[in-house]
Amino acid sequence: MKKIDFTLNGKQTILDVEDNETLLHALREKLDIKSVKEGCSIGECGACTVLIDNEPHYSCLTLASKVSGHDVKTVEFLGDENLLHPLQEAFITYGAVQCGYCTPGMLLAAYSLLLKNEHPTDTDIKEAISGNLCRCTGYIQIVEAIRNAAGLCKCNS
Amino acid sequence: MLPDFASVIPESKEDALAYLSSLKSAKIFAGGTDLLVKMRRGESYSHIVDITGIHDLKVISDHDEMINIGALSTHYEISVNQIISEKALSLAQACGWVGSPAIRNMGTIGGNLVNASPAADSLAPLLIHDADVVLESKDGTRRMRLEDFILAPYKTDIQPHEILTFITIKGLPGYREGYKRVTKRAAWAISRLSIAWAIQEKGGFYKDVKLAIGSCTPMPFRPRKVEDSLKDRAKDEKTIQVAVGEIIDEIIKVSGMRPSFVYKIPVVKALLEDILKG
Amino acid sequence: MVGSNRKRIDVIDKVLGKPVFAGDMKADRLLFAVVYRSPRPHAWIKSIDVSGALAQPGIVKVITGEDIPGKKRFGVIKKDQPCLAEGRVRYVGEPILLIVGETENAARKAMSSVKIHFEDIEAIRDPFTAEKSGTLIHEDGNLLGHRKVIKGNVERGFAESDVIVEHTYSTTWLDHGFMETEAGVGYLDDAGRIVVVSSTQNIHYKMKEISRVLGISEDMVRVIQSTTGGGFGGKLDVTVELFLALAVYYTKRPVMMRFTREESFVSNTKRHPLYIEYKTGAKKDGSIQAVKVTIIGDTGPYISYGETVCLRVAVHSTGPYEVPNVHADSRMFYTNNPVCGAMRGFGVPQLAFAHESQMDAVARILNMDPLDIRLKNGLRKGSSTATSQILHDSVGFIDTLKKIEPFWRERKKSSHTSGFGIGCMFYGCGNTAISNPAKCHLRLTEDGKIALHSGVCEIGQGSDTILWQILLETLKIDEKNVVLVRGDTDTSSDVGSTSASRQTYISGKAVYEAARKLNRYLDEKGYYRGRSLGDICEEAMTENNVIFDGYFDPPTTQLDKETSEGAPYATYAFATHMTEVEVDDKTGVCLVKRVHAAHDVGRAVNPRLVKGQVYGGVAMGIGLALMEEFIPGKSESLDNYYMPTSMDMPEIEVFIVEDEEPTGPFGAKGVGEPALIPQAASIINGIQDAVGVKPSQLPCHIERLKKLIEDKKSERRQEP
Repeated sequence: MKKIDFTLNGKQTILDVEDNETLLHALREKLDIKSVKEGCSIGECGACTVLIDNEPHYSCLTLASKVSGHDVKTVEFLGDENLLHPLQEAFITYGAVQCGYCTPGMLLAAYSLLLKNEHPTDTDIKEAISGNLCRCTGYIQIVEAIRNAAGLCKCNS
Repeated sequence: MLPDFASVIPESKEDALAYLSSLKSAKIFAGGTDLLVKMRRGESYSHIVDITGIHDLKVISDHDEMINIGALSTHYEISVNQIISEKALSLAQACGWVGSPAIRNMGTIGGNLVNASPAADSLAPLLIHDADVVLESKDGTRRMRLEDFILAPYKTDIQPHEILTFITIKGLPGYREGYKRVTKRAAWAISRLSIAWAIQEKGGFYKDVKLAIGSCTPMPFRPRKVEDSLKDRAKDEKTIQVAVGEIIDEIIKVSGMRPSFVYKIPVVKALLEDILKG
Repeated sequence: MVGSNRKRIDVIDKVLGKPVFAGDMKADRLLFAVVYRSPRPHAWIKSIDVSGALAQPGIVKVITGEDIPGKKRFGVIKKDQPCLAEGRVRYVGEPILLIVGETENAARKAMSSVKIHFEDIEAIRDPFTAEKSGTLIHEDGNLLGHRKVIKGNVERGFAESDVIVEHTYSTTWLDHGFMETEAGVGYLDDAGRIVVVSSTQNIHYKMKEISRVLGISEDMVRVIQSTTGGGFGGKLDVTVELFLALAVYYTKRPVMMRFTREESFVSNTKRHPLYIEYKTGAKKDGSIQAVKVTIIGDTGPYISYGETVCLRVAVHSTGPYEVPNVHADSRMFYTNNPVCGAMRGFGVPQLAFAHESQMDAVARILNMDPLDIRLKNGLRKGSSTATSQILHDSVGFIDTLKKIEPFWRERKKSSHTSGFGIGCMFYGCGNTAISNPAKCHLRLTEDGKIALHSGVCEIGQGSDTILWQILLETLKIDEKNVVLVRGDTDTSSDVGSTSASRQTYISGKAVYEAARKLNRYLDEKGYYRGRSLGDICEEAMTENNVIFDGYFDPPTTQLDKETSEGAPYATYAFATHMTEVEVDDKTGVCLVKRVHAAHDVGRAVNPRLVKGQVYGGVAMGIGLALMEEFIPGKSESLDNYYMPTSMDMPEIEVFIVEDEEPTGPFGAKGVGEPALIPQAASIINGIQDAVGVKPSQLPCHIERLKKLIEDKKSERRQEP
């Protein structure tokens, strides 16, 4: 058992985790953040993507004990019903969502990109989401959404 | 479901080495991208020593032409590092191809080497830069050539109480250098085969040629004899044909004729020809 | 409303990560169940010892086939598949035991304590062995089905042809690869009924299976669809539902199941591998005279949708062309390979690879343009299909070709190894030659609203939004007055499954019919002259007239037993894809650069959703053509089963053709499967154009393509 102290979606969070507990498990089962999905548990689908210090990581292959002292973000960080993030608005407008299972991870990968690159090319966008599988959309409308959100969003603020 | 284990999270190399020497069945945990998959599929250890908190092992520095790469440098960090991009471009390129963006953020070069997959992207570039690995334990430090460190696919010379702490490579500034790999999908794929090269030419002659071919032999292969024979040879069609033919022969000699060679040999041949032609 | 790009009705929740998928559900005292599966492809079960597993900490119950209270076998077409195997297993992954534990860890750990003694039986690994072997997988033999489509006289057709082209084609297993693996939760409600909430494409079918297997009446079972993370046909068959029902039946506690990706891979049905011999005869002017197709399929050990695929591939074997003489012979054999079932297109994507390769081969011999030969032979109004069905309405195939034509005529190779290919398809919307109705109803509610009660399973494709748009358009009413009550056998009628590209067309029409009735009622009561809906609802209550139902069953006929003559579908979707590829002849890597896709959807209820289907279909087509290959025993998870990433995707331009279907809602047909069907074919034809080789096996991955290129080189060298 380890006590971890980390920032989760902007809030300091202290939690007891098992030594062999993944971040995915801790987030879903202990912190009730069900937006982080399990798709394969071996780092080959991207559904469990979270941001650690603003970079995408697979929470299924991250031990929860490793995030102590770090900043962790899930899709809840981006927006809520009252104020959607421009990326979320764009995902709606451009039809980037079908079944919705890959969507939280996809949004986080996109958010991480836009933090570093305010004006990404389509190739930049495709590379940034190349670790997030989507079986429904063929990615086209996702890329379109990210491209169109890029101009509108000041992710740093 | 991960098997049960206890973890320790040392903050210094010394603490990590002390843990390792005192624990039975301990496994070093770095990025976790290989180890946790193996553990899900049945490998188990009573303890893991999570070394990712040891900041000393994340540094990349150079001194003259020698580059020191901390074993905990992630693939992403190496792929964008300025020193590496200037003096070991093939390594930067190869690390930029490993897995996916998240895998590159998580996986470390040290972990990649200790895992010793014959398809690991970093291996071929490290070989052409004559990489050494530094292994430390409570009893001391040893340094060995990467070629000697990897004994067989997924098997290295690392001892139970050792940590791979650094990789040192020779920078090759001014070389025409690169990394090419072939995969079954455009990204996030295991290399079916790969080639790293660094070539120095002058006035239509090869001055120095370094090549490493990945995924054809049990570990990436450096055709040193052919490299030597190309020194000061005129860069022409015939030289290239002969050299490539000899490399292919050597690969077959090392591996025997494998079923996958029906595919790989013609591809390696075509790619090597392109690379030597520049 | 119809024809607009209305945003999906579920999308705000989805971008916030809020939808509750089955694996996200919570309950007090929730148990977890896992399935112990056969490690053997074909074996007698000599003994089962579960005492070790039962003795493990946290194990609540171990259920065997003997414990099943009702019928022991299930199946969507025929009830042939054991829920839990008894006596014999017929494939690797066949369920034998259900282990119910206090936690997932406890249940999974107990698996290693199960002792089963098997005695191997010869495993049949391909349909050709199955045909000849004395080892019978089922008592009545290894042949599951044999269907023929016969039209005209095929031998005479060949005799009258100037050229004859004959090739064989083969395809392999594919996994659906939905991102959410199979999952569900079961529990007892206050009335003691069994409730199962699961990720599914078909709630009513699953409700009926549970009632059969538990031996209880249907009104004692309720099935609710949870938010479903993709289906593609893989959540049509029973996955977790019967197990959950059994576990709840015995433990009386809530139970969860969630397959790991490895379990999903080993247990879910696969796309049918088909072996196709194809012979085409044509006149010099390019008119196709005769088509003879022999199809041999591997269906695995149980039927699932094998019979459906067997017939559908025969019916679609000519592709979207009018052929006077046809002889299609389709046989499906049992093997000890994975169970094959429904996967986007029911076998037609495999056939499209064959018939489109053939069209190009004929064009090549005749020195004809691939587009021209398709324009010449394409189905149009008045054409007769292979089953001699005369197409009267909504035959937009030629229009799809014409949409592509300007790009085709102006195509320019960007390098000596780039190329362009065309792929075409037609696809019958709805089930083949059987009644497959949908039923829904609208209800005027106490609080003055209109509730749409729908049993349609939204699996990500957007059917809820489509039904919503059809409803609002028909009622001409503001959406704030409408609520959707969905995906629950307690509150909806049977609409049939989300499959066969049938929900927009069939369930959409049922919604339309119900809405028309309500529309008339509202009109009578003065709604459109300003009376409030609340008022009307109150009056309707007093009249006891609050339900307005809608029903639609597409008009089809039975097919002749010998020739399959008849009208198997009421309407067909049509499509043409043109794909530009760039082949690296050194490595065998094929890059898909650009796709122009034209689809006759009858009427696009929501063009953005139509495009979303096409984009997703193109992605799946790239997988089918170039990389996806499920190898039994080797493809364990997503690390060795590659599906396309964002980096594999081309630019895509979608053209929507709207040749309205008179029986469809506002003229609409389906697009879910058509989106995929022609894509692999167009890539393969592009490869031939690029490097002059003819792939005959899917996927044409880098190694196969490189070998074809090398073989061609050595052929050239051998030529004097």
